[in-house]
Amino acid sequence: MDGFMVETEEVDKHASAFVAPLNIQKSPKRSRSREGRHTRQSSSRGTETPSLRSQSQISPPLTPRASHDDLAQQLPVPPQPVFHNYLRAFYHFHPDATVSSSTDQSSITVPINQGDVILVHSVHPNGWADGTLLASGARGWLPTNYCEAYDHATIQSLLNALTHMWDLVRDGENGDLVVFTKQDYVRGMIAGVRHFLERTRCLTRDSPLIIAHVGLRRMRKGLLGDLSSLVKTAKKLQEILQANEAPVPVFEQLDELVLKAFKLVTRAVRFLDIWAQDAVSLPLDDASNNRPPTPPSDLADHSVQPPTTSNQNDQDVVLANDYASSVSQEVAAATEEELDRAKPQPPRNLNRISVAFSIPSEADSLQSPLFPPHGQAKRFSVTHRLSYTGKSQGPRMQNLASERLNAAHDSFLGFIGSFIGLHLQSRSSEELTLTTQQSVIACRQLLAVVEEVWERDSRRSEPLEQARDTMYIRLTELVQATKDMFSTSESGFNDEVVMPDSGKQLVAAATSCVRSAGDCVTKARFVIERIGDFEFETFGLGLSDTIFEQIDQIAKDDVEEIAKPESSKQPETVLETDKPLPAPPVVERPMPPPLIISESKPLPDVPLPSPLGDVRLSLQPAHTIVESPTAVSHRSSRSSLPPLTQLPTPHLSQPSPSDSTQSPASATQRFFGKAVRADSVNASVADTNSTYRYSMRGDTGSVISQASTRATTPDHSPAKTQSSQALVSSFGSASELRSVASDDMTAVEEHLLETTYAHELIYNKEGQISGGSLPALVEQLTTHESTPDAMFVTAFYLTFRLFTSPVQLAKCLIHRFDYIGDSSLVGVPVRLRVYNVFKGWLESHWVGEQDNAALGIILSFATGRLRSALPAAGKRLAELTSKVTEIRAGALVPRLVSSLGKTGVANTVFTPADSNVPSPSVTRGQLNALRASKDGRSPCSILDFDPLELARQFTLIESRLFCSIQPDELLASEWTKKHHSKAVNVRAMSTLSTDLANLVADTILQLEDAKKRAVIIKQWVKIAIKCLELNNYDSLMAIICSLNSSMVLRLKKTWELVSAKTKARLEELKIVTDVGRNYAVLRQRLQNHVAPCIPFVGIYLTDLTFVDVGNGTTRQLPGETGREGVSVINFDKHMKTAKIIGQLQSFQVPYRLAAVPEMQEWMESQIQRMHASEEANVQNYYRRSLLLEPREPPQVPKVAPSPVESSSQSTFSADSRTNSKDRFEFLNFSFSNNAVKDR
Amino acid sequence: MSQREYHIVVLGSGGVGKSCLTAQFVQNVWIESYDPTIEDSYRKAIEVDGRHVILEILDTAGTEQFTAMRELYMKTGQGFLLVFSITSMSSLYELTELREQIRRIKEDDDVPMVLVGNKSDLEEDRSVPRPRAFKISQDWGNVPYYETSARRRANVDEVFQDLCRQIIHKDNRVYRQPPRQGKGGAKGNRGPRRKHRGPRCTIL
Repeated sequence: MDGFMVETEEVDKHASAFVAPLNIQKSPKRSRSREGRHTRQSSSRGTETPSLRSQSQISPPLTPRASHDDLAQQLPVPPQPVFHNYLRAFYHFHPDATVSSSTDQSSITVPINQGDVILVHSVHPNGWADGTLLASGARGWLPTNYCEAYDHATIQSLLNALTHMWDLVRDGENGDLVVFTKQDYVRGMIAGVRHFLERTRCLTRDSPLIIAHVGLRRMRKGLLGDLSSLVKTAKKLQEILQANEAPVPVFEQLDELVLKAFKLVTRAVRFLDIWAQDAVSLPLDDASNNRPPTPPSDLADHSVQPPTTSNQNDQDVVLANDYASSVSQEVAAATEEELDRAKPQPPRNLNRISVAFSIPSEADSLQSPLFPPHGQAKRFSVTHRLSYTGKSQGPRMQNLASERLNAAHDSFLGFIGSFIGLHLQSRSSEELTLTTQQSVIACRQLLAVVEEVWERDSRRSEPLEQARDTMYIRLTELVQATKDMFSTSESGFNDEVVMPDSGKQLVAAATSCVRSAGDCVTKARFVIERIGDFEFETFGLGLSDTIFEQIDQIAKDDVEEIAKPESSKQPETVLETDKPLPAPPVVERPMPPPLIISESKPLPDVPLPSPLGDVRLSLQPAHTIVESPTAVSHRSSRSSLPPLTQLPTPHLSQPSPSDSTQSPASATQRFFGKAVRADSVNASVADTNSTYRYSMRGDTGSVISQASTRATTPDHSPAKTQSSQALVSSFGSASELRSVASDDMTAVEEHLLETTYAHELIYNKEGQISGGSLPALVEQLTTHESTPDAMFVTAFYLTFRLFTSPVQLAKCLIHRFDYIGDSSLVGVPVRLRVYNVFKGWLESHWVGEQDNAALGIILSFATGRLRSALPAAGKRLAELTSKVTEIRAGALVPRLVSSLGKTGVANTVFTPADSNVPSPSVTRGQLNALRASKDGRSPCSILDFDPLELARQFTLIESRLFCSIQPDELLASEWTKKHHSKAVNVRAMSTLSTDLANLVADTILQLEDAKKRAVIIKQWVKIAIKCLELNNYDSLMAIICSLNSSMVLRLKKTWELVSAKTKARLEELKIVTDVGRNYAVLRQRLQNHVAPCIPFVGIYLTDLTFVDVGNGTTRQLPGETGREGVSVINFDKHMKTAKIIGQLQSFQVPYRLAAVPEMQEWMESQIQRMHASEEANVQNYYRRSLLLEPREPPQVPKVAPSPVESSSQSTFSADSRTNSKDRFEFLNFSFSNNAVKDR
Repeated sequence: MSQREYHIVVLGSGGVGKSCLTAQFVQNVWIESYDPTIEDSYRKAIEVDGRHVILEILDTAGTEQFTAMRELYMKTGQGFLLVFSITSMSSLYELTELREQIRRIKEDDDVPMVLVGNKSDLEEDRSVPRPRAFKISQDWGNVPYYETSARRRANVDEVFQDLCRQIIHKDNRVYRQPPRQGKGGAKGNRGPRRKHRGPRCTIL
């Protein structure tokens, strides 16, 4: 239906396109000579803009665009590898072609085609990169000098999303599948596509560019189709994971996911290619064209600019035809149209593309086995006898007979599977028509392949012939059955729904068809193995015309009768294009070999007669190629790679013995593959260890995909078939687009049209958000799909004031409310979420003095837009705003950071206060004494009371303070502010703990009698033990600090009177309170505690301080190499902060202990006395300590005669401090330190 | 030979940026996400004069108000960074008290120590004249004085290197001492101490 439009379109373009003096040829004219191209190259180089030239100079080693001679001159200059996540090939690289037969390398190097985009895992210093081809999913080594960085700003966020997803999948293979239960990563992809379309101004269907440009329209549709299929796969994966099924199918899904994403990106890249060449020059009338998001000049700066359109189209055709599975009438139609469209384009390309890309597209066809130079590969080697089912080698392998057979069979099963599936589900006749067509076509291809095999066999295998005939008959039956059904349904009620009876018949026919096909394929395979694999070098040749015609006839009948809903043009197209399939249309094919050779000049010499596939296969008797299992051999194999500069020479694959010792240690290999990836995450350019592992990713991927395709059973859902189909990177095919149900497309499109900031999010390796712009974070806060991560939400509420203002947040939320309103799908749920965020904020996270500034905005939003959209919500929010102003304290309910804390509270708060509360261990006499003390009659001593009860009461006092610490006291080092600190409770905690320490010292040092001091020490140790039992670490720390302080520790005579038992217990306590190794012991203990507990608050304060200073406030969005990256909020920092505060809060649970007010009162008075006392400081205590037990005169001169000597004694390595102290202190309590260290 | 491990304590009043100094030093060139809660957060292997050593840094930033804890921290240190801010005279004065406390606890006048004037990037806000700070460092027994900018990572490594060098020197002095001389100094004190340690070990 586009035919006419296309033509007018082209005329238009013609008129406006003659800008460039040079010509890029369309495929029909591909015979265009190499000189022409050379001229073009040189002249274009001469006429390039300066900016372009400088660009290409920036990365000289990456562009071996000159001839061999030039390259040789460049030899001495080692390439400067720069790590890019994505490379784009602008030369072909087919290692096998340069090597004769020794080629273990071929299992390692991956052939690349001009225009291929590669996800790079690591770059070896020698210039080889370990990468995965997006087009095929194959992984292997490839020469970076054939590639150039691909990081165009327009597509950057999509590429980033892909990288992120790849990382997640890698983790997923390690068993970490949690992230896949959420859809965040898919959102990233969607946002990437959106961003991409936005920047290319092709976001909406109605954008002028899309309306004006057929190719872009098509590509855009394809992109949406890919996206929708990706989303579906992700959903499926999510469902599977949630259903907790066995992990095996999950891996399949993961692979599928990745391949789909690859495909999506590949298409986006092609979209960009077309766009860059054509779209920007389209005479779009409006002013918007004057300010395109990425102006053309900008584009020209990127020498990464794609190959010419013509080349793209060639590839298109190649690929489309290459994949039997993707074959449908649509392909051909699309191809033809694209060709038509492209024909007039050549003149305009050159001013847009860089020198690097004005390379001959012919090379493409040269190296593709689809276009072997004349007579070359026919009946070439018969070196292997197994059908090739190993790693997916991309399109180039596809013309091996065995490959073709498999592909055709797979595709047939795929279609017939969905065909059967449709019948079981009684779908509409339109869908049925389509699948029927597809099935018939696929079947025909299979038959064609079988026929060819049969032809090749000198013996003319009889079983095969029989099987073929049977299959043919079955197919005829199937077609007949379909026809019958349609005639009944149409003559009947004109009903869309298929009659169940005829459906059954149809299913039976289809099933028998499947069976006979299986039989046929088995026999064909047998024959292939007997005669050896061969290549289909010409298409249609050797196919039995009779069979072909017969089938054609069937198909024609079938299509004509059935395909009424289709456009009238389609049946024609189907037949025309089907015939030469799986080969490209004849027009495309002819290619003079001599020209080809010269065209490929900058590339390594291509020995013409090398049949790529066979050479490779000959070394791969097993279906999967497995590398030698040891890392050593990997390394050695790597080191045997030639230096990059030698690349273009035939040395390419020096035989490496280690490589040929391939062993089936696939597990090892897998492991290594992962290791490499992990290594290379951080751009390990110089990482010599990150040697290559052969393409395990691609390998497993393809194996699995094959399995999944084969496993087509009647209950196979059409969706599944679609997806397995999509594994083949048939991005040139439109068939799949078509078959993506239209409503899905709409959904995706709708999805895509939503404004989103998801591309401004950064995830860490665990899949948590580690950074993002405010709108992106707000978006995350208000996702419709799933409840947002609780930790994220609480962290956001807690910390948002650190990175934005309440007013800004309110505005941003309202913005979110507004822009999502357009979406019919998610508008309402998201708006509700926005309301909920406001509600949560006001209800439990409102900090009056700061947030009140936003109150006006919120109120007007509540009474305005919110009320008109969601009246009840608006009303409620308005109520809340007034409530907030009434309550001066701020939050309506206590804020809790973690849900953990919440449950803790719930558990304890709601138990009756007096149940299970231990009765206080205090006697009436003691109480009386306390009262007496209060009146000032007789002072009490801590010796008068049970240490347990003292510890309990002190814990209660401390717990009150601890539990009242508010989260915002802990933010932004609030507690360290010397004046007007709002962190009253934190400061009170530190004061209390200091006072307690002073009290300990005071009670000891106030006594003249050493014996009494010893008793007091013993009592404090007992209290400390009880504190530990009560999990009151704060008091414990204070007591131990004091007992361990120099002024107490130096009281030699006193400690002599302390029992060994007490000292031993004290040692144990010191181990607990050891500050060494970042409080390792204490942290360990705290981890295992449940509330109530009073941790040593100092740890949290230090942690918070260091999280604050050790992490930046912003981080850069990844990618955009060489460009000023975009800074976004470093949310990871705030997550960390919230996590620490959450831990502290999880302990904020009141103790269930009976208070003894008298005792508490007395203790507080003691504490108060310390606090008020001017003398309660270290210097005074030390002086008093010296008075009590003066320094022993004989020791002083002896021990420290001179500073030098004394110091020399004090530094016996780590425990030196012990020594120096011991010289003075009679007793040594640093044993604990040693003990800890020794462990 | 196993790597020596030295304990360094960073001291100074709140707000002088000492945590920043520590964080800058401990972090490698670029850590995207610094987690101070793990055991190795404050450990760093460095090379000083060809010797590989591990520094464990104790920086109790944020707990300045827990004055009672100070001694606990100081006890663990073999070398001390005394950090003040060149924008605050009082932060320098407060160090005097800390230094006294260190000497008291260590019972040693020659504790490895470096005086650090941080925030040198805020020259315009300087309120501690350089000579003044230098004079104090002289008074302290020729303690090295550095001015650093944690924000710009200026002199950060140097400070730790210097301190580490001092600790190593002190170590070496002990090792190089002839046995006899060493005995004269150390043995007299060690004898009785060992006696006390013996029984304690058994109890534990």
